[in-house]
Amino acid sequence: MKVAVLSFAHVHAAAYLRLLRDMPGVEVVGSDPEGAAAAAPGETRGRAFADQHGVPYVDTYEEAFARGPDAVVVCSENARHRPLVELAAAHRVDVLCEKPLATTVADGEAMVAACRAAGVRLAVAFPVRFSPAYAAVKRAVAAGDAGRVLTVSGANNGHLPTRARRWFADPELAGGGALMDHTVHIADLLDDLFAARAVEVYAQTNNLLYADEVAAETAGLVTVEYDNGTVATIDCSWSHPRSHPAWGGLEMTLVGEHATLEMDAFDQKVHGHSERHARPLELSFGADLDSRMLRAFLFGPGPDGMDLADGEGGLRTLRIVEAGYESARRGTAVAVAGG
Amino acid sequence: MPPLHIGLLGAGGIARAHLPGWLELGARVSVHTQDGSADKLAGEYAELGHDVTAVPDLDDLLAGCRAVDICTPTPTHKDLALAAIAAGRHVVCEKPLALTVPDAEEIAAAAAEAGVQLHPAHVVRYFPAYAAMRDAVVRGELGDLAVLRFTRGGARPQWAPWFGDPAKSGGVIMDLMVHDIDIARWVAGDVVRVHARTRGSERATGAPADVVTATAVLTHASGAISHVTGLWGLPDQRFRTTFRVAGADGLLCHDSLAVPGFRITAQGVRAANEGIPSSPMTESPYLTELREFATSWEDPAARPRVDAHDGTAAVRIACAAVESSRTGQAVELPPASRPAAPERGTAATTHATDPEEPTR
Repeated sequence: MKVAVLSFAHVHAAAYLRLLRDMPGVEVVGSDPEGAAAAAPGETRGRAFADQHGVPYVDTYEEAFARGPDAVVVCSENARHRPLVELAAAHRVDVLCEKPLATTVADGEAMVAACRAAGVRLAVAFPVRFSPAYAAVKRAVAAGDAGRVLTVSGANNGHLPTRARRWFADPELAGGGALMDHTVHIADLLDDLFAARAVEVYAQTNNLLYADEVAAETAGLVTVEYDNGTVATIDCSWSHPRSHPAWGGLEMTLVGEHATLEMDAFDQKVHGHSERHARPLELSFGADLDSRMLRAFLFGPGPDGMDLADGEGGLRTLRIVEAGYESARRGTAVAVAGG
Repeated sequence: MPPLHIGLLGAGGIARAHLPGWLELGARVSVHTQDGSADKLAGEYAELGHDVTAVPDLDDLLAGCRAVDICTPTPTHKDLALAAIAAGRHVVCEKPLALTVPDAEEIAAAAAEAGVQLHPAHVVRYFPAYAAMRDAVVRGELGDLAVLRFTRGGARPQWAPWFGDPAKSGGVIMDLMVHDIDIARWVAGDVVRVHARTRGSERATGAPADVVTATAVLTHASGAISHVTGLWGLPDQRFRTTFRVAGADGLLCHDSLAVPGFRITAQGVRAANEGIPSSPMTESPYLTELREFATSWEDPAARPRVDAHDGTAAVRIACAAVESSRTGQAVELPPASRPAAPERGTAATTHATDPEEPTR
């Protein structure tokens, strides 16, 4: 199976390249023409990045498509997802697109329409769906063990991602800051969990973290009401200290009528302290969610049946984000546009 | 000097948490209740040799004591507080001060008019983990605060039915979440906007699955934002509080279940969930609180870390949260007449000279 990774803008490109390189039966190639032409200072892009990860490289996207890939992975900046997804549709190749699907609902709708018209699959990269902890939550809710879910408190906190890739806090390329970056993972889990529609969003944001460094919002709380009555509040802040050994994490508490459930997608770690590096030591031993997601994309769902979010799902979470920005501007709750 | 004489109103869970504190401070305590339960409480303690007596008549109690400690259901706070204030007594009043802003303000105004102290018993300010976090914030350890999270939950209170009647308790926001509303304001300053939702069965039905939970987002005048949740949960929901406070220069997290210091990991039978939290590791926060209040009656310079204004502010924010939950709209709060939190620079100086001194 041939796979091409298009653009190395996203921080996840490194993991995808390595995982695809080592996946039996997969032949991977990378291409990053924009990055090769204009890498941000201090950032390795283009051929050098592919070399670093031991993956063959071609100079243009056309060359990547000329190799006849069975699937492509789009890792461009959020605002540059659309042209690459449309290119994949034009070549009739299935595409896995980084999250969020796009920076505007209009772009997202165009991408979904292009893939539908071409008859190609559009999937969105929400790896936390593949967490065994989430699978356990889903089983408890689906079996009715939790009863009706009343509220969800979720937190997807991370460090400011601009050290690895500067564009994350550039509103033009990223579409915003923490609200754009970190609302969608938990919104996607709930989209999968409830099959309910988000009807209203209330969001408050600030940029008190890294105020001198980036213009985008760095902290946010997003409350989403679903038409099944559930209320979820998501802390999407980049509030995880940069000097911490971990990048951040994703936690969720669900209060149901018959059970209270808690999950942490990244808490499986051995903790210690390194005298050599004079800092805490963390050894993750949890499941590799990126790997499970890529396998499901290329080879179909695993034994637990979990599949990737499709373009429509990506659009639904993007509508929540869009309503969130409007709510934060207005200071009031905002209805989520239907779709 | 004669021993401190405290008039304790109520003999329920919180009265039982306060009473040992008063005795530790050397007080003699007169207990008054409407339902005769004062006799039982006083009897238990008198048997152990403590100076605790039941007083059937409220006026008799008010005539003899230095201060009144109101540990009764919330709807009775106002009349009892006004009676105590009229008798010239200092008043310690359980949270929330009242169920409505006008009632809370009326109590505070009466106390100010009469020149007596009014101490809303927001005891979480005296829990060591919360006090340590707030000290660090005031020192500037975390820089400007940006985003805070507070959770508080446990089994639905079964020991007194009035908690399950929202007309009496005000519901899970007024009775439980008000703790963290007060802490969020104490730590991150005044609140200008509130959005809240309540889900589940606010009125207790007695059914096993009688869960009620509320979630609120507070926007502070500084621009910081707080997420606060409260849960009266299933019978086996262990009492637990957590916070996560993030600022430009750092992060502080706490989970009460993660660091108990001491725990029983087996005892042959499954223990019931505790109602009032206690720890063998540190002094009872109720004692710390009551000592700070009592000290201020002797020394006007000693100002407790929580005052009447804080109590009315907590009621105002909680009422706004209840309103938001009812109407579905975010509620704007008028700017406070007096700021909740000090400027960090000045506060740090104050703190350096006296860690016990409240920083305003």
